[in-house]
Amino acid sequence: MGLSELTTPSHESTSLSRRVFLGHYAGSLGALALAHLLGDSASRARAETATGESSGPTIRPKAKSVICLFQHGGPSQMDLFDPKPALNKYHGQPYPGGDLEIHFDKQKGNVLGSPFKFARHGGSGLELCELLPHTARVSDDLTLIRSMNTESVDHESALRLIHSGRFLAGLPSWGSWVTYALGSENRNLPSYVVLSDPGGLPVDGERNWSAGWLPAVYQGTAFRSGRSPVLNLQTPEGVSTEARRNQLHFLEQLNRSHLERHAENLELAARLANFETAARMQTAVPGVLDISQETAETRSLYGLDNPTTAEYGTRCLLARRLVEQGVRFVQIFLKAQPWDTHSRNAESLKGLCAMTDQPSAALVQDLKQRGLLDSTIVLWTGEFGRLPVSQGADGRDHNRRGFSLWLAGGGFKGGHVHGATDDFGYEAVKDVVTVHDLHASLLHALGLDHRRLTYPHDGRPTSLTDPDVTKARLVGELFA
Amino acid sequence: MRVLWLAPVWIALGCPLAVCADSSPGDPELARDVLPLLKTRCVKCHGPAKREGKLNLSTPLSIARGGENGEVVVPREVDSSLLWHRVEADEMPPDDPLPADERAVLQRWIAAGAKRLPTAITAQESGSDHWAFARLIEPTVPEVRNPNGARTNVDRFLLAQLDSQGLAFNPEADRATLIRRVSFDLTGLPPTPQEIKTFLDDSGADAYERMVERFLASPHYGERWGKYWLDAAGYADSNGYFNADSDRPLAYRYRDYVVRALNQDKPFDRFVLEQIAGDELSGFVPGREATREMISLLEATHYLRNGQDGSGESDGNLDEVRTDRYAALESTTQIVASSLLGLTLQCAKCHDHKFESISQRDYYQLQAVFYPAFNIQSWLKPNDRFVIANLPGEAERWEQHSQKITAEIAQLKAGFAAWARSNRPPSTVLFHDEFEDSGPRLAENWSNTAPGDDVAGGAVPVQLDSAQAPGALRQNGVLQILESGMPGDRWISTKQSFDWTPEGEGHWIQLSFDLVDNKVSAGGTPAERIAYFIALHDFNDNSPLPGGNVLIDGNPAGGAAVHVDYPGADSKTAGEFGNGKYERGHNYGLRITNVGDGKFRLDHLVDGVPDDKTLQLKTEDLPDGGFGFEYCCGRSFVVDNVLIERSVAAFNGGDIGQKITDQLQEKRKELAAAVKAKEAERGEQPGKIACVTDRSEKIPDVFLLERGNYATPKEKVQPTPLSALADAPVPFDVKQPFPGAPSTGARLAWARWLTQATSRPAALLARVQINRIWQHHFGAGLVTTVENLGASGAQPSHGELLDYLAGQFIRSGWSMKAMHRLLLKSAAYCQTSSLQPDAFKIDPDNRLLWRHRIERLDAESMRDAMLATSGQLDRHFGGPYVATSRNDLGEVIVNQSGPGANRRSLYLQQRRTQTLSLLNVFDSPTIVFNCVQRPASTMPLQSLSLLNSEFVVRQARRFAERLDREAGAQSEARVAYGFLLALARGPTEAEMRSSLDFIRIQREQYAAKADAELNAWADFCQMMLASNPFLYVE
Repeated sequence: MGLSELTTPSHESTSLSRRVFLGHYAGSLGALALAHLLGDSASRARAETATGESSGPTIRPKAKSVICLFQHGGPSQMDLFDPKPALNKYHGQPYPGGDLEIHFDKQKGNVLGSPFKFARHGGSGLELCELLPHTARVSDDLTLIRSMNTESVDHESALRLIHSGRFLAGLPSWGSWVTYALGSENRNLPSYVVLSDPGGLPVDGERNWSAGWLPAVYQGTAFRSGRSPVLNLQTPEGVSTEARRNQLHFLEQLNRSHLERHAENLELAARLANFETAARMQTAVPGVLDISQETAETRSLYGLDNPTTAEYGTRCLLARRLVEQGVRFVQIFLKAQPWDTHSRNAESLKGLCAMTDQPSAALVQDLKQRGLLDSTIVLWTGEFGRLPVSQGADGRDHNRRGFSLWLAGGGFKGGHVHGATDDFGYEAVKDVVTVHDLHASLLHALGLDHRRLTYPHDGRPTSLTDPDVTKARLVGELFA
Repeated sequence: MRVLWLAPVWIALGCPLAVCADSSPGDPELARDVLPLLKTRCVKCHGPAKREGKLNLSTPLSIARGGENGEVVVPREVDSSLLWHRVEADEMPPDDPLPADERAVLQRWIAAGAKRLPTAITAQESGSDHWAFARLIEPTVPEVRNPNGARTNVDRFLLAQLDSQGLAFNPEADRATLIRRVSFDLTGLPPTPQEIKTFLDDSGADAYERMVERFLASPHYGERWGKYWLDAAGYADSNGYFNADSDRPLAYRYRDYVVRALNQDKPFDRFVLEQIAGDELSGFVPGREATREMISLLEATHYLRNGQDGSGESDGNLDEVRTDRYAALESTTQIVASSLLGLTLQCAKCHDHKFESISQRDYYQLQAVFYPAFNIQSWLKPNDRFVIANLPGEAERWEQHSQKITAEIAQLKAGFAAWARSNRPPSTVLFHDEFEDSGPRLAENWSNTAPGDDVAGGAVPVQLDSAQAPGALRQNGVLQILESGMPGDRWISTKQSFDWTPEGEGHWIQLSFDLVDNKVSAGGTPAERIAYFIALHDFNDNSPLPGGNVLIDGNPAGGAAVHVDYPGADSKTAGEFGNGKYERGHNYGLRITNVGDGKFRLDHLVDGVPDDKTLQLKTEDLPDGGFGFEYCCGRSFVVDNVLIERSVAAFNGGDIGQKITDQLQEKRKELAAAVKAKEAERGEQPGKIACVTDRSEKIPDVFLLERGNYATPKEKVQPTPLSALADAPVPFDVKQPFPGAPSTGARLAWARWLTQATSRPAALLARVQINRIWQHHFGAGLVTTVENLGASGAQPSHGELLDYLAGQFIRSGWSMKAMHRLLLKSAAYCQTSSLQPDAFKIDPDNRLLWRHRIERLDAESMRDAMLATSGQLDRHFGGPYVATSRNDLGEVIVNQSGPGANRRSLYLQQRRTQTLSLLNVFDSPTIVFNCVQRPASTMPLQSLSLLNSEFVVRQARRFAERLDREAGAQSEARVAYGFLLALARGPTEAEMRSSLDFIRIQREQYAAKADAELNAWADFCQMMLASNPFLYVE
């Protein structure tokens, strides 16, 4: 394979390194296998071989990319997505439903009703709270899961669980798994981009997008605001375009005879190609982040004209632009854990919804009108839910037994509610979906079989879902 | 179609070489074709773990042994072979019949005589069916076609396989290539020009061996190979687990132990023994003095602490705390299994292992070896898990040294205080009482009521000039505050009233007194607080004025709490200020400064000097009133020299007061810096070792946990060897390791069992280590799954060679350096990396070693090599880590102006959540458990680092300066020297030409700049550092 072949597939850099890495680890791949791992067709082929789990429907994968709107802290399901009249009926009374698992057990209070009204929306009649008028507008595009559960009431553990499938730190995040499986469609941009809050990192910081033991190329790249969204993106001061061109030319000369002696070595060739990719990234990254060309209508859709929504809205808009450019996985984080409403639950929710409702819904609407929603999964979720009783006077404590999230696009049903919690919203009781089931289903939507997407580490095939241990299963009912 | 179903299998299991390659010639082979197929299709039910029909199809021996229905393979007789029958009849595998091509593999293999299937089933223990668990048997060194091609037996084993494919080694590489290869392999650094010259000038027949010896003797050898071991052992400078990822400040002693041990070529069995049970070998008893050897042995045990341990930060309920502790114990167990046994044991935590002959019971029996040290019931948090082990006299010497430092610090502070006192703002004295015996009676200046109030403080008021408590007695020139302990608050106050809210911004009033003693008699109880009042104006809240009666509650632990309107129900706390401790022999007080807007700042004064923390009060808090001492709760003390002054000039706006304040701040900074330096000079108390010791001499109860659940303990287990490796003759004897040892001896028993020279466990240990050594010299292990030599791992490419080397290793006394000599001497190691097109077709991954692999420098070597090339490498050995930090951009960097910034990467802080960005992008691992194998990825972010990162740009500049300094002015000489430093060779003619051209055009590029010449050379240097010939070792 010569250098010329390297420049044709649109994402040779990641594929190559995957092949190089597999070459190191897995022995010979053979020419045919190598061809499979190069280029777009490879990813799709690999994806197709991975579908067809016997327990669920076989679909042709629709989704190519993912946008995860991560809502830290544990959004209160009974105040937003999962109406529970019983809460208001028993408001202020001791909880009648039996024992509750309480994180801060000294501050347990009585049943706390929700002060917010719920109404049915759209053709599907999805019931949502009044704090989410914009989400309500796109309710016919949403799959709302009301029967999520997870395994920890500790923020960090629960975050790791939903991001990497286990609560130990340092495992590959699911964004890394997805990019490992599917590569990138734009070699000038990182395939896994994180848009973290300019106000600060989320709890557990960079570990939320770590590649764990997958090769470093699969870790999320956090775009920063300012001159250098990616580390080392700026040419050093004083080096003109001309000087840089001379440098690269000389570098090529230095490498030439070396490469001639190792013509078969794709890694060496890839490294050369990467210098050019790097140079293109230096313009591509700032380009994709430049929203000045967006219309006034689009800007207003995302709430960029409103100080409350402008910042989060900008990042939602960037997420669309990135996906449009072929970025595989975009993750938006909020700073710290704002949804962690241990006190002043109702008041806090008003502010948080005012900030996130419109831009989140705008993203779904915008993707749809651009024809991108089918091929893009939008996931809105936190790491766990909250309790039906109060903590202190007016707060809610963590709850791992029940929470809600929504999905849009990517082949998921529209206007669909999946599962249910008990009468108080405490515990998922009907069609329960574990975090591992969620992972299995998301991978499925991308055409990947969670049981087959593995990576050899520590002497065994590791996977996102580790189904032998977690019993992860694909939830077929979520798909249209 | 084959590839489609195989694709996931490769990813899952590592590619069974020839099953993937369509071009495999000849008959199917057992290791290459048959075993991988059986593993994929059959071993889940007929394997070491789940032997349905008592049949295990995972190893040659067990296939030969057959199952409950007798033998399953009869060589050459396909129709008599049960294995074939079942497959042909579609009975096996039950739900998923084999495709035709796979059937053909089985059929052809049996028909051709079932090659390599053992014929005589030896009576070895059933655990040894798996090759890695078998006893070491000296393999016969094979004959080779061309004996001249072989220099060592290593070559003969390799050539035997190459011969069978009609292949041979490449020719020997030139000397420049060899010295660069050996230098990086053994030290992780490029050869210096002097080292290159010595080798090139050596015309002796054994020049190569001598060159190898020089690098083996280099102290950098231990750093390079130490790092490999540290990765395998999961070393990190932080605890991980929680977000806090708290510090492990003493872990470096273990790191240094490892580097030293490797430099000394400590026998590997001993090295392992020390890390598992150094404390039990040491004879050290806490509280006694230690020898150097004991200290080293204790340091070694930190190996068992490398796992993540969040127990220092656990704050949840009891279940959560227990989980966190178990997680640390499980980490340790996993690291031991991975790094020493090459096994993935952790699956057996919840259930019997699916692929290995390891039961759940095995797991807990191994856990029981470490449980006495990591006892969940009597847990030690990381920071509490240490011993003090001092060399004779070391503690005393440090104590003396420390006392000297303490005295010097006291002197610095005294100097500062003296300066502050003699440079304080000018003042007018409002009140002064030195309690001279010759002076006026107390009652003339003092009273038990507040000025202007008619009610005495307290139900039992203070008697002035009385030795009867509660009383105030002037005696020997001091004032005794004699508290009775009777209920109620009381005080003595100045009769004089003061204005505590000086008018005009910057004006101040201050009071001070000497605290002569914190008790009145030698046997008395020290006062818990030294409390005093300002603005005393009213005892029983009759006054119409709010505020006043401001109580300053001076604390011997530091600082003072301030309460306004004390005592009474409406008393309120205003906060705390100051940080000086109330100790006898010092002067205390406060200064109140008008800061405008009706606000007043309170500075806490210790020896006349304001300390850091201030407090603010408002006008209404501070009505006119007296100063007094509080009587409360039996607190008696002795004071002197009460002085109240006020400013003559405002203390702001460029006047003398401000100048003094500025100077004071400056002096305070100087003092802080000087004290810090002194503290650094004091250093840590020596002898503190973060090690592992058992929590008691008695073996605690350890239970098998049902499904790995901590809440459901089942049967009790004892520390016991793994059943698959248990041989009756190898002793496993748990007993107190030495008299007085605070230890069970379980770890020592286990470590001795593991390292018993002729045993099966020792054979496994040797195979695991040899395979790792092989990997680091040849690019891939003889077993490619270096972390897994179990049944689920890859088959060895050269099984007999591995056993041969393992046998040599043990016979050499487990000498790593002897093994390096043996491997590096081989023709296989010394050959070139060039391509043989025919060989590449047959064996593209070079599993047969027809050439030397070309490998990218790992992240650490790359950084170190850049520093070495630029001449900036700081070669200091050992000691605490060099801290890293995260800058505004989120980049993890080393503070370039700090000490040690240019030390080897090994010495940089290995914080789990904070890997140096430059290293991270080149695949330096984030340690979760451990890491025995790294990917070598290639991505644009690496190119961006090489082109634009501050580090690389800086090293390039230093490199250019070095050329200027060391190679003279002539361009050709500089270019040649640059090549020599970076690539260990001179440039070719073409390279010389293009280099000179490049420098010329860059010089023109930068013509407008002052340092055009240096810029041009720096660009040349940077491209050298970014080039493939630099980044790769041939």
